[in-house]
Amino acid sequence: MVSNHNVKRTRVSPEALEAKRLKELSKVKEYLALNDDLLARKRSKTYRKEDFEATTRILSINPEFYTAWNYRREIFLNGLFPASTPAQIDEFLSSDLDMTMAQLQRHPKVYWIWNHRRWCLEHVPEGPGEDGDSREGWRRDNWNKEMFVAEKMLDRDPRNFHAWNYRRYIVASWPSIRTKDDELKYTKKKIQSNFSNFSAWHQRSKVLGAMWEVTPATRTEQDEGMSSHHTYSRFWLIILEEFEFVKSALWTDPGDQSAWIYHRWLIGEGDDLVVLQREIDVIEELLVEEPDSKWCLDSLVHFQRLLLQHKDESSVDVSSIQQRCAFALTKLEAIDPKRNQRYQDIKLQL
Amino acid sequence: MSTTELLVPLHVKYIQSLGENKDDLAYHLTAHLRLNAIYWGLTALCIMGHQDALDREEMIKFVDDCWDDEIGGYAAHPGHDAHLLSTLSAIQILTTQDALEHVKVDRVVLFILSLQQPDGSVAGDQWGEIDTRFLYCAVQALSLLGRLDEFNKEKAVAYLRRCRNFDGGFGSSPGGESHAAQGNLHEVDEQMLGWWLAERQVPNGGFNGRPEKLEDVCYSFWVLSVLAILRKMTWIDSEKLTTFILSAQDPEGGGIADRPGDMVDVFHTHFGVAGLSLLGYPGLNDLDPVYCMPAELIKRKGLTKAWLALPRRDAIGGKPDHE
Repeated sequence: MVSNHNVKRTRVSPEALEAKRLKELSKVKEYLALNDDLLARKRSKTYRKEDFEATTRILSINPEFYTAWNYRREIFLNGLFPASTPAQIDEFLSSDLDMTMAQLQRHPKVYWIWNHRRWCLEHVPEGPGEDGDSREGWRRDNWNKEMFVAEKMLDRDPRNFHAWNYRRYIVASWPSIRTKDDELKYTKKKIQSNFSNFSAWHQRSKVLGAMWEVTPATRTEQDEGMSSHHTYSRFWLIILEEFEFVKSALWTDPGDQSAWIYHRWLIGEGDDLVVLQREIDVIEELLVEEPDSKWCLDSLVHFQRLLLQHKDESSVDVSSIQQRCAFALTKLEAIDPKRNQRYQDIKLQL
Repeated sequence: MSTTELLVPLHVKYIQSLGENKDDLAYHLTAHLRLNAIYWGLTALCIMGHQDALDREEMIKFVDDCWDDEIGGYAAHPGHDAHLLSTLSAIQILTTQDALEHVKVDRVVLFILSLQQPDGSVAGDQWGEIDTRFLYCAVQALSLLGRLDEFNKEKAVAYLRRCRNFDGGFGSSPGGESHAAQGNLHEVDEQMLGWWLAERQVPNGGFNGRPEKLEDVCYSFWVLSVLAILRKMTWIDSEKLTTFILSAQDPEGGGIADRPGDMVDVFHTHFGVAGLSLLGYPGLNDLDPVYCMPAELIKRKGLTKAWLALPRRDAIGGKPDHE
């Protein structure tokens, strides 16, 4: 094989191997016949319905055969589409979306299937009507269906990065499908069903980041039509809720790195001294409960080093911070020996 | 046989046997990766000091047969369509075999340059799939051909900035989650990226590709290569990682799997051996972590960057010297 993931190794006797070989011979023959037939059609540049069906047959056996997907699209563009009405084109593409949906169930991580879906979506014609809303009808229906599919795939495997990427692509292409608030609700739901789902935390950081422009450190939200006072208080409310949310995750399982990485993003460069100090207190509180928590200690070092940027403030006692960092780093060397060189390097930079 | 050491003769035999499976359906179902597989097998053999275990002339002939004259690039298999992934594999194989004169350089360069989009990103072929992996492929292929100066680097860097995440890692497209397999070109926050990469090591010594995911031998290379480029190889437990990679070997049939007890394949065999080379495993040749090709070869071409792998150990059981 060329690339296996997560397939258990089994020992087979030479006799069993020979039996398998004989059994597979007819399958190999059948597959090679389909393969040769397809490549011959492609070489002859024919773009008929029967050529299209030949791609369907081989792709149902081997969805990774990218050349067959390419040929299928060439047949659409050069043979089937020119002879079809917009309604028929919409039907062709809808049926390809259905076919690839069935394939994704069996092969959720095959790039070529996801790619073909994108191509189909981008070729849905305008219609059925000619004006305004009706002109977007087919497209809207397809994009809506696509969101449903992406989210179904994420229900099955909440870490499938193909499905997450695809979902982001849908929202970017058809923004009205999900508002920022919808996105916050969706990611919260995903996180609450599994705090370890860093893909959902990541997506949340992108949504909030877009709402605040770039990172929380810059803190300039743009909500048009709101008074600056209203915007300001809504902004602080979201931030406060977010810190409460991540805190509950940290306390639920301090050994899970997902929420800690998100927490680090939320604090950013630590420009807000009050927030930074408050979050350090939160971690110290947790450290009392979990004195050997590696992530508590590592985060304390990170945030206390951010505090040093504010060394001109009277509340920031540089030598005491350095001492506390050194103490935490020594402890980290003991409880996390795999990475002790990193802790030693940081100590030298204090 | 035990898996406490690298079973070089078995792996060589395993790689040699890969072309003899023509009765297996699986062999034919993976034709779309054939050229990539040859690059993986050849590079693993070079690192293990057995470059001649596969027939050179036959290999070059196969690469020639993969040329797609219509598109001007290499396909993964004769008769398939050209793609950037297989074009890079072809150039890597021909470079390693010192046979670059087989490449129609101007046409290949034209093909690769045509894949760069107005926003700086790079597509895999004319059908337009965009991924930061393709940007890496384009840069490496052009660099091996000595034609990198024709690539729009400013736009490419601007695009990569948009794929960068706060954790120092990169996603496959803007907004994408950081993934250990996406991190090879850079302008980076070294402390942050070093931290994120070091935290990919899980308790059994292996590496995962994203937080709270399972470990896999291929990430040994993806993560180690970037750590070597950042000169931070000492930030992880190299002995535990070595043990983990070795434990994923098949002690009877040869080859390395994604994790212990799983089916082996040439992809994981290559990345396992590549990882061991960077870890200073005794008896192996040096691997260049930027190109994932024999370091000596890249040095001869004058393309070596300032990476730092662990020093080569003399004997099995010897401790790597953390200098």
